[in-house]
Amino acid sequence: MSKLIAMRILLVEDEKKVADIIVRGLKAERFAVDVCHDGQSGWESANAYNYDLIILDLMLPGLTGTEILEKVRRKNSLVPVLILTARDGMADKIKNFEAGADDYLTKPFAFAELLLRVKALLRRGPVNRSSVIRVGDLEIDRLSQNVKRAGKKIELTAKEYGLLEYLATQPGRVFSRSMIIEHVWDQSFEGLTNIVDVYVRHLREKVDDAHSIKLLRTVRGVGYGLNDGTPT
Amino acid sequence: MNPRSISFRLVAWYAAWLAGIFLLLCALLYLDLRLYLENDLRESQFRRARQIANTLLVKVPQTGESYAVSQTKDWYEPEVNDRFIRITRADGTLVYVSGPPKDGSFDPAEVPVFQPQSKTESSRKLNLSGGHTLLIATLNFKSSGNPNYRVEFGALLDPVETMLNHLFLQLALGLPLAVVIITAGGYWLVRRALTPVEQITRAAERITQFNLSERLPVAKTGDEIERLSLSLNRMITRLDDALQNSKRFVADASHDLRTPLTILRGELESFAADARLDAELHDRVGSLLEEVVHLGKIVEQLFTLSRLDAGEAKTEWTNFDLSELVKTTAEQMNLLAEDKGISIAVESKQLAMVKGNRVRLKQVVVNLLDNAIKYTPAKGAIQLRVLAANGHAVLEVADNGIGIPPDALPHIFERFYRVDQARSAESESAGLGLAIVKAICTAHGAEVAAESAAGKGSCFRVKLPLAKN
Repeated sequence: MSKLIAMRILLVEDEKKVADIIVRGLKAERFAVDVCHDGQSGWESANAYNYDLIILDLMLPGLTGTEILEKVRRKNSLVPVLILTARDGMADKIKNFEAGADDYLTKPFAFAELLLRVKALLRRGPVNRSSVIRVGDLEIDRLSQNVKRAGKKIELTAKEYGLLEYLATQPGRVFSRSMIIEHVWDQSFEGLTNIVDVYVRHLREKVDDAHSIKLLRTVRGVGYGLNDGTPT
Repeated sequence: MNPRSISFRLVAWYAAWLAGIFLLLCALLYLDLRLYLENDLRESQFRRARQIANTLLVKVPQTGESYAVSQTKDWYEPEVNDRFIRITRADGTLVYVSGPPKDGSFDPAEVPVFQPQSKTESSRKLNLSGGHTLLIATLNFKSSGNPNYRVEFGALLDPVETMLNHLFLQLALGLPLAVVIITAGGYWLVRRALTPVEQITRAAERITQFNLSERLPVAKTGDEIERLSLSLNRMITRLDDALQNSKRFVADASHDLRTPLTILRGELESFAADARLDAELHDRVGSLLEEVVHLGKIVEQLFTLSRLDAGEAKTEWTNFDLSELVKTTAEQMNLLAEDKGISIAVESKQLAMVKGNRVRLKQVVVNLLDNAIKYTPAKGAIQLRVLAANGHAVLEVADNGIGIPPDALPHIFERFYRVDQARSAESESAGLGLAIVKAICTAHGAEVAAESAAGKGSCFRVKLPLAKN
């Protein structure tokens, strides 16, 4: 966590109360946050400083969020951008991803969800891309899709495997239910959040039940993750 | 034929009046002709009787009775011409009577003898044996200085009767036939006149909330029917406007509710995270938070619906195999069912290529399957079936769960409709899942229908046109 302390985030949100909540929450997590309440000053700030992350609302007076995003990307800036919006039409989503957005969150959102996504974007670099992932005594072979724990093979269904592999890409990180649905299932399952709970429960039976060290972690009200193998 | 329909009543009235008038005309014609023919016959008998009296009897003092008799025989040849002639003196004694006619149709002896009568001219009809009728004109000949005679000249009415009978037969056959033909023609005309109404009705039947932009055909007849179609069209325009307004309202409301919901949720979350809060307050805030999350879900589903209303599912269409989509979706959701001890069986023997928005159609499968899992008790079974036949792909989702009561069945695709309150309490759904299914199906020109036996299970059937290639 100490790595994140000096991180500076720009929030462009015209709705003052929403901005307040986000700023309060992010500051409690010891981020430095600048707020702009309109598109023009948002773009000026984004242009003037090198932020580690920009959170953009789409509907802004002055410039729209999409326009700011396009200007930022034209500057060839690689800063991660998280879009915050009340619109969640699929066409909108695609348009903004094409313009260079890194993630997308629809209002109303849980602050925990926002925080997870912010943290994920800030440390996006080292995603485990090797063919074999090891978490503690768990071993996932991505080529053969074989999973072993303490040298013993575990039989998983395709979905269970997909879920475990996704959680294992960044051990120690917590993934929200909707992040899991987006990656392991697809948009069609949105709103069907208990599907994640059921799969995690089954995964836990297969992976953790026979072992004293529990790898699968539930963070109440936030989501699920994989312990990085060190006893908690 | 419906006895209360306009066409039936019009034609019935028309036929009844026509039959009445025809009947009256025919009766008048028949009676008039009968009167005319009888009068004509009578007149000619009188004329002949007068001839005998004025040319022969008047000369009896000079020529004698026998001359008059022989002349009468010569002139009229009554036996050959089927005539009856009788001349009597004033005291009733017979001067001459004609013999029986050659065809023997009557016997002159049958004609009753003379009755004293004061009138100069009179006529009578005599019904004779053999069904013959004799029309007899009687002339009392009085002349000063001459003996008085009575001349009776008669002819058979038979030709007149024959002719009238013939006419009667013709009218009796022709009249109903004419009425039938004219009624049929009238019915055809009425049907033809009502055809535009029929077309308007059929077009109006096709109009639902999903194609309110369509209009009825306007018959350019310049009459009531044109006015009817025009005012129906204006009514549809008003309905369309009203529906558009309500859709826009839902879209705007669900959009504008998001920011306040975000604030509410954010504030409650930070409240719940506050360590200073005691346990009871923490629970209450938690409960508030749950409700806000639920509200957020409803708003999200409403927003989905208004986007579907705006035609979102009509974009990004691709060709894909419905069987494959159903199989993978069932696989992805299998654990949800397994968790309740429900088995899912997928049956799809053939390829079912359809064209549509894959993400949205997948949502149809997800929602139907989720519904089936929700309302099927433990150890139940769900059967998914994909068929391709007659240009349509059919998806069936059948369960053996609690089923849907018959009175609820017609409403389950309506927005916010719930079968009963008990169901809504145990699930978080807002009653919009099936409305979303319906909206997606409509956007794809697909039909969705449900049948159910309460306590035995339900079956949802989606019928989608196959992709043409």
